[in-house]
Amino acid sequence: MDGGTALARITNTGERSFKNEIQKLTLGAGEEFHGEGILAVTKAILQSGVTYVGGYPGAPMSHLIDVLADASEEILEPMGITYEQAASEAGAAALLSASIHYPIRGAVTWKSVVGTNVASDALSNLASTGVTGGSLIILGDDYGEGSSIMQERTYTFAMKSSIPLVDPRYDMERMVDLTEQCFGISEASNMPVFLNMRIRACHLTGSFTAKDNKVAHFNSNNPIPEQKYDVTKIVLPPASYQHEIAKFETRLPAAENYAKENKINEFFDGSQENKKIGIITQGGTYTVVMRALHRLGSADAYGNSDVEIYCMNLVYPLIQSELIDFMANKDSILVVEEGNPNYIETQIAEIAHTNQIKCRIHGKGMLPMAGEYVSNVVREGIAQYLAEEGPAKISKLALDKNAKIVEKTRNAQSHLADPMPPRPPSFCTGCPERPIMAALKMLMKERGKFHISMDIGCNLFGSLPPFNVGNTVLGYGLSLASSGAIGPVLDQPNVAVMGDGGFWHNGFTSGVVNSQWNKYDSVLVILDNGYAAATGQHKLPSTGTTPRGLESLLSIESALKGVGVKWIKHVDSYSLENTIDVLRQAMDARSEGLRVVISNNECMLAKQRRIKPAKAADLKAGKTVIHEKFGVDEEVCTGDHSCMRLSGCPSLTLKQSKDPLKETPVAHVDESCVACGNCGEVAHAAQLCPSFYKAEAIQNAGIIRKFTSSVNRSLLSLMGSD
Amino acid sequence: MNEIKNTVVNRPICLLLGALGGQGGGVLIDWLVNAAKRAGYPAQATSTPGVAQRTGATTYYFELFPEKNPVGSPIFTFFPASDDLDLMIAMEPTEAGRAIERGFVTDFTTVITTTERVYSTSEKVSAGDGRINVVPVIETIEKASKKLIQLDVTALSVGTAARGNAIAFGAVIGSGILPLTPQDCRAAITEKGVAVASNLAGFDIGLKAAQEGVQPIQLEDSHTYQKAPKEFDAEISVFPKTAHDIISHGIVRLIDYQGPTYARKFLKRIKKIGDIDKDQTKKLTSETARHLARWMSFEDVIRVAQLKTRPQRLPRIRDELKVDSTTPLKLTDYFKPGRDEVLGVIPKSLSWLVPSLNKGVALHIPTGSAFGFAMLKFLSALKPLRARTNQYIEEQKAIDQWLDAVIEANSRNYYLACQTANLAILARGYGDVRKTGMKKLDLLFMDWGKNLENNLSGITAQVDQLILLAHSNPDAV
Repeated sequence: MDGGTALARITNTGERSFKNEIQKLTLGAGEEFHGEGILAVTKAILQSGVTYVGGYPGAPMSHLIDVLADASEEILEPMGITYEQAASEAGAAALLSASIHYPIRGAVTWKSVVGTNVASDALSNLASTGVTGGSLIILGDDYGEGSSIMQERTYTFAMKSSIPLVDPRYDMERMVDLTEQCFGISEASNMPVFLNMRIRACHLTGSFTAKDNKVAHFNSNNPIPEQKYDVTKIVLPPASYQHEIAKFETRLPAAENYAKENKINEFFDGSQENKKIGIITQGGTYTVVMRALHRLGSADAYGNSDVEIYCMNLVYPLIQSELIDFMANKDSILVVEEGNPNYIETQIAEIAHTNQIKCRIHGKGMLPMAGEYVSNVVREGIAQYLAEEGPAKISKLALDKNAKIVEKTRNAQSHLADPMPPRPPSFCTGCPERPIMAALKMLMKERGKFHISMDIGCNLFGSLPPFNVGNTVLGYGLSLASSGAIGPVLDQPNVAVMGDGGFWHNGFTSGVVNSQWNKYDSVLVILDNGYAAATGQHKLPSTGTTPRGLESLLSIESALKGVGVKWIKHVDSYSLENTIDVLRQAMDARSEGLRVVISNNECMLAKQRRIKPAKAADLKAGKTVIHEKFGVDEEVCTGDHSCMRLSGCPSLTLKQSKDPLKETPVAHVDESCVACGNCGEVAHAAQLCPSFYKAEAIQNAGIIRKFTSSVNRSLLSLMGSD
Repeated sequence: MNEIKNTVVNRPICLLLGALGGQGGGVLIDWLVNAAKRAGYPAQATSTPGVAQRTGATTYYFELFPEKNPVGSPIFTFFPASDDLDLMIAMEPTEAGRAIERGFVTDFTTVITTTERVYSTSEKVSAGDGRINVVPVIETIEKASKKLIQLDVTALSVGTAARGNAIAFGAVIGSGILPLTPQDCRAAITEKGVAVASNLAGFDIGLKAAQEGVQPIQLEDSHTYQKAPKEFDAEISVFPKTAHDIISHGIVRLIDYQGPTYARKFLKRIKKIGDIDKDQTKKLTSETARHLARWMSFEDVIRVAQLKTRPQRLPRIRDELKVDSTTPLKLTDYFKPGRDEVLGVIPKSLSWLVPSLNKGVALHIPTGSAFGFAMLKFLSALKPLRARTNQYIEEQKAIDQWLDAVIEANSRNYYLACQTANLAILARGYGDVRKTGMKKLDLLFMDWGKNLENNLSGITAQVDQLILLAHSNPDAV
């Protein structure tokens, strides 16, 4: 059946149409590119003569994947570039094995650190073997405000696998050059290279002068004449020991030399009379540092500063000689290093120590241990540094300006009485996953709370109000695997919720297969909405088509049956009572091994993107269109808001009642309603109230419909309906 | 060697946009970027959508260097900073409040905010009124910022398809803080190609609103009292003035509900309270009257049928859908009477006839059709039988029990009496919600007198607690 729904689904790609973006990727030498950071990086890859690109979607990298998928016919195929949206980050990383033996360049991308975790097995092996062709790993760093993941550093991966890490300065022209130079670093050091892009950098807009796209010598239109065999490239003793030696004796030093020769890292002079202090920053925090100096009176709007700056676009490995030069004649430096542990600061301290450089090194002492280094944070830290170490004039100015900013901010905040309401992300209006969460919550009311393992994706919002179902989340596709140890020690079966994205990413092998093998008494609820919806409607093996629009009919149900799952039931999540009933059966079928409940309702965002324009067109063309919406009868609603506690739909909101007898606001369905029917179903299933109604206006109705309805209307008015 | 340039233009203009996923904040920023590019000003925008795009709060940040082809390339950065924002745009008033909370807004900042609240889940899930009042929020923004421009999007966009983001875009330009011309911006909208006509209209509306400083009409969420028929004037006049409005409104409600006789029953009951209300505020009388009128018009199936067949209901729904009176309209009402509700409409003596419907019977009634409408009309016509129905008898019993409790409480102290009156909020809702509430009351009032005697403070605390719970989020306790 889910094969069927897959077929029934739309076959057009992604969240948006990428025509404009694709045009930008075809710009030639001298033309001006204007657009988002991540698109600029994509263009840089094409200008670097890659033979293959791949990746796994996830904010903030999704855009790169989407655009390239759409561009395959126009751009990739003519250039002989192989494109793959892999089934997981591990798959994407494995693509890089193409560059181990052969002089071909490739780039892969995913969201870090979660994606890098998944890819680590392949990355460690790749880093041991080393590469011949330039290999670039573009990481979307989702750190700080608005992040949807745990807060960790990519730097750790770079260090443990000796993979050079580039953290570019965000000037688009410079960012594009650095991206191209990453391939140089990789080929010079025979190591893959990380290019770390902060989420705000991926979304920043800017311009640069384009070059022509470069067709690789070897590509799918001009294959490599013969395959290569070289036992020293296999990660087995004794080669693996040689690999380890090579990393530290030849590869990393080579990366360091290449970076030095090509001025990857940048020195920005300070003023003449001020040579004793300096700031070392990651490329990614350079503009934040410069803005702070500007606001503290030590720099202008163009980055001309009183204070010397050493901007590290290559943050691993460090370029020792440059650091020694920078620290040599200084009394002190401040290291602005985002994230923790402060690997860079400690390495610099060690370099200073072993080279007997008498230079005080400040860092986490003046800046926060953890958290995103936003403008205010960095400004405070630099103000403190300038105050303590700067010459009188600079230090006084910095202190005064900072104090004034702080005071004015406090004044403004002093007017606030109560805190503003929290506004976490939640299910969209009409989301088919909402009724599942309502069903689980109602089932808990009926039989007591049971343990629910959630997964990565929209489904995780179920663990937030108003549902508050979902006890743990352990990673993509790992909800069912999380049942293993907790299931047996709880009185009720463990429920694992998983999206179709999670199922194909890791949930099938680590979850379903594992539970079949280890005989879990668990219920798996698969929310098959047709896409990796949370990342922006990305195609999945069971979507029905590949990202490039080719038919693909991998079916969740066949996969389950293939590994012997017997208890499989499908639900239409919007028929709430039936959904509850099926979930109840699943909970009670304890002797039947793994029970799987699949909801096949399509992501409502995707659905609306398709039907809204279609309806509008039909209406214009005079075709019959049903305009539907739910509503609440104000007089019938008693204002206890039980419906809200089982819905959380953005379109179901509050409204002041005109009735003086009502002391609480009544429920109200606003115009964003897409008539999914959930509120009516909830009112039914929970026997809440008869306030809800569904209204359907038949626009451009046919003659007969018009006639019957006019008869109906006259009868109604006889009964005093108007 | 670098020398700091002391140019006239020495900083970029900084703009922060706070919006909710789906409000078109990204489109607004695209317009700004495009307009800046056309006008030849260096600019940079960035955002952090991530999962926030799914209805959560999200921000966009934009910097523009107000000098065409400047001497060098100005530094743009990613983050809004304290006392460095020229403009803060909020697509919802508490998002402007959030920007103040986070220290971005100071007296250096002009704030443009839409005035209409979009309630957060935390406000919706309260069983009482969990809403944050927008008025003090707006006042706070006004005090904290340099200047406040309010946009009442609903009022401003009347008769157009204009959306909030386009109106806000117009207001940004209208505020005169950016060096961009309306021509640049209209061109940007046209080039973007998204709903061009309505967005251009929205832009002009917002532009005008900001330039002319259009003040939004602060519509008071005031109640509207209905006036009781003349013949009741004498009976109402015996009550304190402060209670007249609510009593009069109650009478109208109960006449509509059952008839004049029933309304007089209400007066008789409230009289008992009026007589013992010795406090000059007469709060007890008016509060009890409000609860009593509401409770006496409890929503049984007959009542719901009456409300669902009100004249003007169908026209009102047509307006909601923005369709004319001739467009065929299909209307489905969701009824699910449980056993009690069914018993509600048949005489007690026949209750043994009704099977136990533990799950209730799910009915989808096509009220839009003559048949469905007639069905409900018939139900509502059972009014005369109401007095003999099971639910009626139960409710009246509970009401009298409650009133006696109020009177007894008043013999102890006035505060407890008023609180006891407010306990009537537990008698609300349908199905289980109502049953649980009523059970609580019954339990509490069982040995009311004795408990007041022995443990007044304990009871008072218990009553306060019950009322608190009835006004908070049950899931949170």
